[in-house]
Amino acid sequence: MARNVYRPPEQGRAGQVFDSVFLLLLVYLVLFMPLIFGLTGQATTTRVVENPTWEALGQNEVAAGQWEKLGFTPESASELITTRFDYVINPLSLLLTAVVILGYFLFVIRMSDKEYRDVIAERFDGDGRDGGGRR
Amino acid sequence: MAQAQAVTETKAQPIGLLRVLGPGHVWALGVGIVLVGEYMGWNFSVGKGGALGSLIACWVIGLLYTCVAMIDSEVTSTVAAAGGQYAQAKHIIGPLMAFNVGLYLVMAYTMLEAADALIVGDLVVALAAGTGVEGVDPKPFVILAISLLALLNYRGVLMTLSVNFVITAIAFLAIVVFFLSVEPWNPGAVLHHADLLAGLPYGWLGVVAAFQFGIWYYLGIEGTCQAAEEVRSPARSLPYGTMSGIITLLIAASLTWYVAAGLLPWEYLGQAITPLYDAAQASGSTGLQVFLFIGTLFAASASANGCINDAARAWFSMGRDRYMPIWFGAVHPRYRTPFRSILFLIPIAVSFAFTGLLDQVVTFSILSGLLGYTFMPINMHLFRKRWPLGSIERGYVHPFHPLPAIVLLVLCTATFFATYLGYGVQLLAMMSFYIVASLWFAFHRYKYVRRGDQFTMPWPRPRGY
Amino acid sequence: MIVWTLLEWLAWGASGLILAWMVADALRVSHDYDEDVLLSSREGEMIMDEPHDAA
Repeated sequence: MARNVYRPPEQGRAGQVFDSVFLLLLVYLVLFMPLIFGLTGQATTTRVVENPTWEALGQNEVAAGQWEKLGFTPESASELITTRFDYVINPLSLLLTAVVILGYFLFVIRMSDKEYRDVIAERFDGDGRDGGGRR
Repeated sequence: MAQAQAVTETKAQPIGLLRVLGPGHVWALGVGIVLVGEYMGWNFSVGKGGALGSLIACWVIGLLYTCVAMIDSEVTSTVAAAGGQYAQAKHIIGPLMAFNVGLYLVMAYTMLEAADALIVGDLVVALAAGTGVEGVDPKPFVILAISLLALLNYRGVLMTLSVNFVITAIAFLAIVVFFLSVEPWNPGAVLHHADLLAGLPYGWLGVVAAFQFGIWYYLGIEGTCQAAEEVRSPARSLPYGTMSGIITLLIAASLTWYVAAGLLPWEYLGQAITPLYDAAQASGSTGLQVFLFIGTLFAASASANGCINDAARAWFSMGRDRYMPIWFGAVHPRYRTPFRSILFLIPIAVSFAFTGLLDQVVTFSILSGLLGYTFMPINMHLFRKRWPLGSIERGYVHPFHPLPAIVLLVLCTATFFATYLGYGVQLLAMMSFYIVASLWFAFHRYKYVRRGDQFTMPWPRPRGY
Repeated sequence: MIVWTLLEWLAWGASGLILAWMVADALRVSHDYDEDVLLSSREGEMIMDEPHDAA
C-alpha cells in the first residue's frame, strides 16, 4: 500500500539563504553576544590583599619560587590567587536549570517519536522493504 | 539490496566521499582532536576544585568516557555512516533528536576549533613576548591558523588525516618526553607535589564542580565515528581506533596532571591558558620550553584540523537530509569534500576565537559534548529495545548492557550540576540555543525533509512501530 | 618590533588570500557543475558496496 508518501516542497534559493542566515544569527545572538558582553563569565569573588607578600597570599617557599620562575611578583599574582569561585547554590535557579534541561529532553524525545512514526510508516508500509521513493 | 540502492540513479556517476582511511587514521582523528585537551583547558578543573580535585575528576570522567566508548562502539559498528551519532539518532530515536545531535557535534567541534585557534594566537603572542616585543595582536595568527587548516580540509581528507597522524604523534611524544625529563623518580628535584598540592580548596563540592572541565581531558574521542563513510572497514576499524584512543588519552592525561601539578601552584594552574608550556617554563629548562611550545602548537593544529573535518561532515550530513538547507549537502567534484559546509563554519570559529575567553569557549564545547553523552544512554536503551540482540547484525556487542548506560546517565547529570556551579548562566544560554533551534526545526524546517528516506539502514522494522 | 608588525600583516594577507581562493573555487565549482551532480551523494551508499568503490 503505497499510501501517503510525503512530498516535501522544494526550498528555493532565497529560503535556503534565509535559513542559513537564521542559524548564524541564532549563534551570534544567543551564544556570542552574552559572551562578549560578559554576562556568562565565571561566578567568582576576589579578596583584596593590601601590600601582598607571598606569605600573606598563603604561598609557601616552594610555591613562591615557582611563581617567580613564571615571572610573577606578589603584587601581580595577588588577584590570580585571591579570586575564588562562588559556589553558592540558589535552590530556585538550580530548579530552573534542572527543569529547562529535563523539559528540553522530554520535548525533543516526544517530538522525535511522533516524527519517527511517520518515517517508519513511510519506509516500511510503502512498496516493500526498500521504501522506494529515493531520488 | 545495497547494490539496488546504489544504482537507483545511474545517469550520472554519483559523487560521494572517498573510502580511504585505515585504523591508524581513525586513531589520529580521535586522539588528534582530543590531545590538545592535555595542553590546555583541562587545567580549569584545577581552578574549580584544586589539583587533587582535578585528578579525581580526571578518573571519574574517564569512567564516563569508558561508558561512552562501549556504547558508541556497539552502535557505530552497526550504524556506520558519516555524521556518526547523528545518523544513529536518526535511525534509532527520530528526526528532532537527530537534528539536535547533529548540532551538538557541530557546536562541540566548532567551539573546540575556536579554542585551538585561540591557543595558537596566544602562543605566538607568548613567543613575541619572549623576544621582548609586547602587544602583538593574536588575531591575524588566529585567522591564519583556521584558514590554513580549512584549506587542508577543503582539498581532501586523506592528506588532512595523514598530516594529523604525524603531528599528533609528535605532540604525544612531547608529553612523554616532558614527563621523563622532569625526573618523576626523584620527587623534590624538579617536581614539588609535597609542597604544591594544597588539598581540596573547595572541599568535595569543588571536586564535583571540577567534573565540568574533567570532560576536557577526553572531549572529542567519540569523533572517530564521524569518518565512518571514509573508513575502509568501519565495523572493525572504528571500535579498535576508539578504544586505543581512549587508552592513549588516559595515559596522556595522567602524565600531564602529574607534571603540571608538580610544577605550578594550583591558583596559577587553574587559570593558565597554556599550562604545559608554562610548566616547561617553570621547570627552568629552555630546551623543554621550546619542545612544549612545538607540542602545544602541533596539538592545537591537529585538533583544529580534525574539528573542521568532523564539524563539516556533521553539517554536510544534515544538509544531505535537508535538516539544513540542501545546498550544504554538496560534495566537491574534485576533492570529494563537503566544501560548502567547511566554508560556512569558518566565520563562527573565527569570531569565538577572537574573543580570547578560553574558559567560556571551552565550556560551550563541553556542554555540547555533554548533551551528546546524555543522548547516548537513551539511544542505547532504545537501540536494544527496538532491535534486540540477534535481530540485526552488530559489529560489536558491549557487555553488562544496562549498567554502562545507567552509569553514564548519572555521571552526565553530575556534570550538568558541576557546570551549574560557576557557569550557570552560560549553561542556560546554551540550553536556550538548543531550545530555539529545536522549535525552529520542528515547526519550520522539518517540512522540507523527506520522511521515509531518512531511514537508510537495511534493517527490519523496529519493534513496536 | 618592525618584524612582528610585518608578520602580523603577512598573516592577515595570507589568510585573506587563502579564504579568497576557497570562496572563488566554491563559486566556480557551483557554476561549472550541475547542482544535481554536486548533491548526488547518499547516506550509507558506499558502506554497503565497498569492493567497487575506487573512484
